[in-house]
Amino acid sequence: MSESPGPDADADAASAGRFGDLTPTEQGVLVFVAGLLALLALGLVTGGLGPTYFMYLIGLVGMYVLLSFGLNAQWGYTGLINFSVAAFFGLGAYGTAILTADNSPIAGGISPVLGLFVGLLLAAVLAVIIGIPTLRLRADYLAIASLGLAEVVRLIVLNEREYTNGSAGLRGIPGFFEGWPVLSTFPQAMPGLRIEIVPGSPIVLQQPFYQALLNVGLVFVFVAITFLLLRRVHRSPWGRVLRTIRGDEDLAEALGKNTYAFKMQSFVLGSVIMALAGVFYAHLNLFVSPGDFEPINTFYVWIAVILGGSGSNRGAMFGGFVVIAIREGTRFLNGIEFIAFDIGPLRLLAVGVLIILVMRFRPEGVLPPQRELIWPSALDDADVPGPGETQRPHATDGGEQS
Amino acid sequence: MSDTESAGDPDPAADGAAPDADAESTGSVYEGANLDKEDVVLEVDGLVKTFGGLVATDDASFQVERGTVTGLIGPNGAGKSTLFNLISGFYEEDAGTVTVNGADVTDATPHRIAEHGLIRTFQTPRKLEGMTVREAMLVGPQSQTGESFLSLLTAGDTVREEERANLEDAQRILEEFEIGHLATQAATDLSGGQMKLVELARAMLAEPEVLLLDEPVAGVNPTLANKLRDQIARLNEQGVTFLIIEHDMEFIMNLADPIVVLDRGSVLVEGTPDAVRADDRVIDAYLGGGE
Repeated sequence: MSESPGPDADADAASAGRFGDLTPTEQGVLVFVAGLLALLALGLVTGGLGPTYFMYLIGLVGMYVLLSFGLNAQWGYTGLINFSVAAFFGLGAYGTAILTADNSPIAGGISPVLGLFVGLLLAAVLAVIIGIPTLRLRADYLAIASLGLAEVVRLIVLNEREYTNGSAGLRGIPGFFEGWPVLSTFPQAMPGLRIEIVPGSPIVLQQPFYQALLNVGLVFVFVAITFLLLRRVHRSPWGRVLRTIRGDEDLAEALGKNTYAFKMQSFVLGSVIMALAGVFYAHLNLFVSPGDFEPINTFYVWIAVILGGSGSNRGAMFGGFVVIAIREGTRFLNGIEFIAFDIGPLRLLAVGVLIILVMRFRPEGVLPPQRELIWPSALDDADVPGPGETQRPHATDGGEQS
Repeated sequence: MSDTESAGDPDPAADGAAPDADAESTGSVYEGANLDKEDVVLEVDGLVKTFGGLVATDDASFQVERGTVTGLIGPNGAGKSTLFNLISGFYEEDAGTVTVNGADVTDATPHRIAEHGLIRTFQTPRKLEGMTVREAMLVGPQSQTGESFLSLLTAGDTVREEERANLEDAQRILEEFEIGHLATQAATDLSGGQMKLVELARAMLAEPEVLLLDEPVAGVNPTLANKLRDQIARLNEQGVTFLIIEHDMEFIMNLADPIVVLDRGSVLVEGTPDAVRADDRVIDAYLGGGE
């Protein structure tokens, strides 16, 4: 398969290409991302931002990118309205935490790799259970059922103390690489470093930094695997049927597609990706509690997907990045002296305004999908007119092929 | 237009008023006629559907012979679309059976019925957001390997070969419909008439045994309507069987033979266009005379 490294690659990779080839939107996105990264780098060298916290932020971005990928595979691809992102995320986190945490009532000390699979499996099972009754019905029913689901799962985790530790949460979760050769001792083995770029504010890299660095590496691997998987399966007959279901489910049925089965696959796939984010979170935070099931997490992910552009993976990446930028960035605004009130708590207002602006000026999202869902190599081979011969609305956003 | 195998069996059944004398169109009779099962591609028997107190379909029975273009007409509210939805599995019938190609599909889901070779179109096709015409076309082919998630990971080469063949088929069919130039256009940019052409073209990719068209020329300008008629006639000559709901009398009378007239949920008359045209009960039904 000739995978084309096009604009679908993440924003940073695209910058390696020719900047001038990008559309104004893509250029804007790049400038925005680069600007924020520059700001972070500035904070880093001037000592305003600890290197460990910096790495933690990057890890959070990766986690939100994963969550957005998951919701995108459900809502963006197929139009499934899932309001219980937090439930699948939380199940992933608890799945691994119950096996690995020190104070887990039923296990503990088991390898996080096993925890990973258990977390994903739990999410898949829950997705099937909730999917069986709702996916045969119209889209609204899944929405209604999933609204309640996250709360139900949270309450179960809160109350079933003999399994979950209830409101005390699970503590002492090891890092993901616990027990691995080399990587498990990597943070201790690395020498402490002291880098002084701006005189007087050195960057001190010690063990916690290397631990965070490992986490960033881990989430990068998770994101990369998920991205490659989604990219392969989406531009295909399978992805095409999903997009048809999103547009007109009856039509897909009339054309002989078992829409229930397709919706179930899309739902389970997305839920498992959300659980993957949860597994990462558990080993990043080293502590999980029922608070991780709060519905606000679900809505942040929705915002990321709507903002980025439903159905587009790079849109999901961008959305995840922006949501973290708002969520974490607003913390720093509290310190501004000449504003008489705290700005941080207003972050939800900022998010609301942002969504209204996007809906008003770019309802399809900032980076909407722009590719035909046709197996790429077949499109290269087939003796048919190229995509350049006539334009589709979004195709002007960039090349179909590279 | 369409010669049927069971020619020469002039019509005794429902229709006493209009002797089937027209030699050019050999009318075939459905109800009560002893047709060879092989020749019947769609059989509807005693279908009943009620919505609350409203009887939408009332003991409707008829057959569609292979190779015909069968017209389904009737005044507004006669139950034509309900009948379509019953046949294609979108509604569940209260009583009666539907047989496609000899297989009983009464309780089957729409996609199963499609697998049996019955493909339908909708009266008002919803525009497919974010899809090009050829993308929308490529949803047509049945049982594609690439529709299986696992095959995408394990059988990339098969997917690629199939996809290429389908892509070329789609382009060829679009060319035959004289809309090849639309292939890479956004589906949302098409006019209603063009969309109907694309729908018909897409249905052909599914290689149907019988194609149900719900008002193919409603809201379509006369030029495109003629084009659609020509295409339907051409495909019919190639062996595709059609069952068409249409309000445009001129269109359907020129295209279909036989015609089935539906009124108040049941079959009122069936016969050749001429026979139907001359039938007093049909005129009554349309003018609201009634009994």
